[in-house]
Amino acid sequence: MPETAARVVLSSGFSRRYTGGVREFAIPASNLRGVIKALDKLYPGLGAHLEEETTVAIDGEIHEIGYLQPLRQDSEVFFIPKLEGG
Amino acid sequence: MNDIAPSRFKWVGTRPVRPDGVPKVTGRAMYGADLAMAGALYGKIIRSPHAHARIRGIDASKALKLPGVKAVVTAADFPDHKFEYVGPERVAQNLWHVTRNIIAREKALYEGHPVAAIAATDKAIAEEAAALIDIDYEVLPHVIDVDEAMAPDAPLLFEDMITRGIEPARSKPSNISKRLEFTLGDLEQGFAEADIIVEKEFKTAAVHQAYIEPHACAARVDADGQAEIWTATQGHFGVRALTARLLGMNIGDLRVTPSEIGGGFGGKIPVYLEPIAVALSKKTGRAVKIVMSRDEVFKATGPTSGASMRVKIGAKKDGTITAADGVFKFQAGAFPGSPVMNACLCAFAPYNIPNARSVGYDVVSNRPKASAYRAPGSPISAFAVESALDILAKKIGMDPLQFRLKNAARPGTTMIYGPKMAHGGYVETLEALANHPAYKAPLGANQGRGVASGYWFNGGGESSASIQVNEDGTVTVSSGSVDIGGSRASMALMAAETLGIDYRQIRSIVADTASIGFTNPTGGSRVTFATGMAVVEASRRIVDELRARAAMIWEVDVDGVVWEDGQAKPASSNVGDFAPLSLKELAAKKALTGGPLTASAAVNAGGQAPGFTTQFCDVEVDPETGKVTVLRFVAAQDVGKAIHPSYVEGQIQGGVTQGIGWALNEEYIYDKEGRLDNAGFLDYRVPVAPDVPMIDAVLVEVPNPAHPYGAKGVGEVNIVPPMAAIANAIDNAIGRRLTELPMSPPKVRAALDAAADD
Repeated sequence: MPETAARVVLSSGFSRRYTGGVREFAIPASNLRGVIKALDKLYPGLGAHLEEETTVAIDGEIHEIGYLQPLRQDSEVFFIPKLEGG
Repeated sequence: MNDIAPSRFKWVGTRPVRPDGVPKVTGRAMYGADLAMAGALYGKIIRSPHAHARIRGIDASKALKLPGVKAVVTAADFPDHKFEYVGPERVAQNLWHVTRNIIAREKALYEGHPVAAIAATDKAIAEEAAALIDIDYEVLPHVIDVDEAMAPDAPLLFEDMITRGIEPARSKPSNISKRLEFTLGDLEQGFAEADIIVEKEFKTAAVHQAYIEPHACAARVDADGQAEIWTATQGHFGVRALTARLLGMNIGDLRVTPSEIGGGFGGKIPVYLEPIAVALSKKTGRAVKIVMSRDEVFKATGPTSGASMRVKIGAKKDGTITAADGVFKFQAGAFPGSPVMNACLCAFAPYNIPNARSVGYDVVSNRPKASAYRAPGSPISAFAVESALDILAKKIGMDPLQFRLKNAARPGTTMIYGPKMAHGGYVETLEALANHPAYKAPLGANQGRGVASGYWFNGGGESSASIQVNEDGTVTVSSGSVDIGGSRASMALMAAETLGIDYRQIRSIVADTASIGFTNPTGGSRVTFATGMAVVEASRRIVDELRARAAMIWEVDVDGVVWEDGQAKPASSNVGDFAPLSLKELAAKKALTGGPLTASAAVNAGGQAPGFTTQFCDVEVDPETGKVTVLRFVAAQDVGKAIHPSYVEGQIQGGVTQGIGWALNEEYIYDKEGRLDNAGFLDYRVPVAPDVPMIDAVLVEVPNPAHPYGAKGVGEVNIVPPMAAIANAIDNAIGRRLTELPMSPPKVRAALDAAADD
């Protein structure tokens, strides 16, 4: 399966804390694990924070973080704060 | 995927009798307080009478000498924890805070804060002993109101609290735990494009979830360190994890069984009693049971936040919203962690607003720690935003439904937190109300109609389920989700549909932490969606197993067997001439074909669709007393596919009813000493039957393609609009805008008096 380039966006708070303010990335990956690995390579330690502290919106649809979550061609991947309900 | 067309559903979408109904209506259901254990001790919590006090010393020696008193615990019996926030921002836990909320250490931070606990042989002895415990308090100045708590000279709950989320970090401590900001587009430009701008301040009161069943638990620690807890909770896996972490136990040494639950609404996710019961049991070697009184429930368990807010919205003359700005200041209670982030994210979510900003403040004050309450955060910001939108629609001269329709979020709309909305459903709720015959019904004198909408994320996440086919072909469905809103029925319906068998052949249960895989709490409107996916997956695995067993009996390849209408059948005449094998027949041959028929499944469910609702109500205002009577309430909600429509309607009616209470009567009232004045249902007035009309629940079904039967969460979004809908209706009736909850008779009278003075 060919890899695709996802548009990956971090929240402003997250980027402030971990990436020196850089929010957007183009990352070739066919699943979420590829995105997390690539970001962790750029910013060592970031992967663990993403895994533990965020939920992800892939093309607007919210998912819990799961390695094998597939990405479509030109997917938009937003890491957003984890949510809680009542 | 929706792999079964709606028209072909045999069980999904029907309204069978609820499996938990008979025990509940005959009084036999076992709630938290109903567990009776031989030799159990009576546990009692000693609570602070002060809103804010330093604890200089606790002397329990006299109490311990009283015959029948078996143990006293204080914070000294609990391990302390490092000060650090662990986990995701909104749900980050700081065990330093959590352990201090369970039992006060250096200071008592609100009236009702646990300070010590007693285990005694009976209630009378425990109460006598409580009076013998000498606690030396140094009473400190307190602060209750959120705006006052944010003032520079406010008494500090934590002398070293530096606001998170502000850079560069401030050096001066305050009661502001955190600041959040979400932005989209260019706010200044957006307001410059507006022809009309509305800006207003709003306040909401802290309100309690007001579940009928008080918190209750029993715990037993054996000599080998193995422990069991029975408790009324929304999430027994969370109780297990937190109790183990707080007390330094292995999770595997603790088994938690959830009781039947008499309401939770988010308020039974936190842990209050369980670590104390375990500590007392450990110390005494006996089981310990603790049951809260209603007074304790009000004083020491989470209400949701009260808030102080400012909202500014601009629109063009044609009704197009160009910009929206909101500042939301939330009471967190005595420890950080209000739902202000949700409030920021949900505030403008139903609308396509290109330029927006939400700023949130999480503020501690001398109140019980806020906990989740049905769509936590969203109803509070919606009261401000939906009220402001009503003012704007009126100024523009547009019908409030048409105004919302013009600005409605649709798939592709960019949300304030970045992503584009993936699912529809909102527009359909607006259209449902616009077409509702009552929307155009005439109104009488002193009557008014109000509209409001709401948004909630809905949840997914981790769930486990298992299916067992019993020897006679009946089926047991187990899941790790506590049943609050009818999930046993929904799980059985989805299993019946997938297995092709009669719903009445299925018994659906909630399993304890040792009997099923990890499952997230029942909250966030996640169970029908996520646990439902686990049940459907387990059912499919059983179907595959049953096909394999039939293939073995017929000595054919498994691909030659199909499962239809609850029977194994040859896929075609080429496979052979075999009579269908029913579930009962296959169950009878289980030993011959490989042993018990069982399957389990676990999911981390994603792809949940958000919940949208639009509601309108008609009210009548009594000009003499200021009493508001709700005459009519119509709530249209996108429910995906209603698995059990009666339960879905019940959720909508329940959420609206709680919203009516929040709008008109409910509030925490404190005296000047910071003590709660209305800690009981006589003075904290929840709606009773005569206060509520028959709520017309309109089910709008826009299925979620990510769920096997199209389900969406339905439990929470219904509480989001009622406060604004009622405020808008009151304004429509008397021409006065009420901006502070509750809109109780004195406030309405004051508004009428102000109108008379104009």
